Amino acid sequence: MVTRPDRDGDQQLRLLDDAWDKASRHWHDGMARRFEGGHWTPLLRESRSYLEGLRKLMDMLEAAERDTEG
Amino acid sequence: MTSVHADIDALKGLHEALVRYRHAQREVAGRGEEEIKVVRASLEAKASRRRAQLEQCQAEFGACQERAAQAAADSAAGGPAAGDDPVDCSGYARAVEQCGEQLEQIRRWQQRIDAEASEFGGTASRFGDLLENDLPRTEEHLLALIRSLEAARHVQAPGG
Repeated sequence: MVTRPDRDGDQQLRLLDDAWDKASRHWHDGMARRFEGGHWTPLLRESRSYLEGLRKLMDMLEAAERDTEG
Repeated sequence: MTSVHADIDALKGLHEALVRYRHAQREVAGRGEEEIKVVRASLEAKASRRRAQLEQCQAEFGACQERAAQAAADSAAGGPAAGDDPVDCSGYARAVEQCGEQLEQIRRWQQRIDAEASEFGGTASRFGDLLENDLPRTEEHLLALIRSLEAARHVQAPGG
C-alpha cells in the first residue's frame, strides 16, 4: 500500500528526533548547546513547517479527487 | 584538546540519522511534487470530459428547443402537431445546468489547488534549500566534531 508522502515525512522526522534524543543524552557541553541552537532547532522548525504545508496540500488533493469523482 | 564530552557512537548515530533523513525527505519532497502533478492532470482530464458533456447537453437542449418552436408553429398553423402535448425541454435544461455546475466545481478545485500549491511553493523551496545546503553543512559540522573527539581520545589513549 502506498502511503502519503507527508506521513512518510512525519515518520522520518520522528526517527531523526529519536536519534537526537539518544545523542543529546550523552552530549551536554557548550558545543551541544550551540549545535542545538544553530543546527537542530532550525532544522526541526523548517521540517515541521514543510510537513504541515505538505499535509494541508495532500488533504486538499484527496478532497478534490473525491469531490469530483463520477 | 577538544572540549566535546560526548559519546562518539551517539554522535555517529546522529550523523547517520541526519544523512538518512536528508535522502528520505528528498524522496518525500519528490513524491509530493509528483502527487500535485498527477492530481492537476486528473482534474484537467475531468474538466475536459465535463466540457465535452456540457457541449453535448447544450446541443441536445438546443435541438429540443428547435423541436418545441417547430411544434408551437405547427400548432399555431393547425399543422400536424396541433393538439399534441407541447414539447418539454426541461429535462435537457436541467442536464445543461448540472453539467455546468460539475464543470464549475472542478474549476473551483483547480483554483484552490493552484493557490495552495503556490503558497506551499515558498515553504517547499526553503525546505529544498535546507536539504541541499544546510543539512550537508550540519552533517559536515558533526563529522568534524566526531573526528576531533576521536583524535582527542586517540591522543589520550596511550596515557590511559
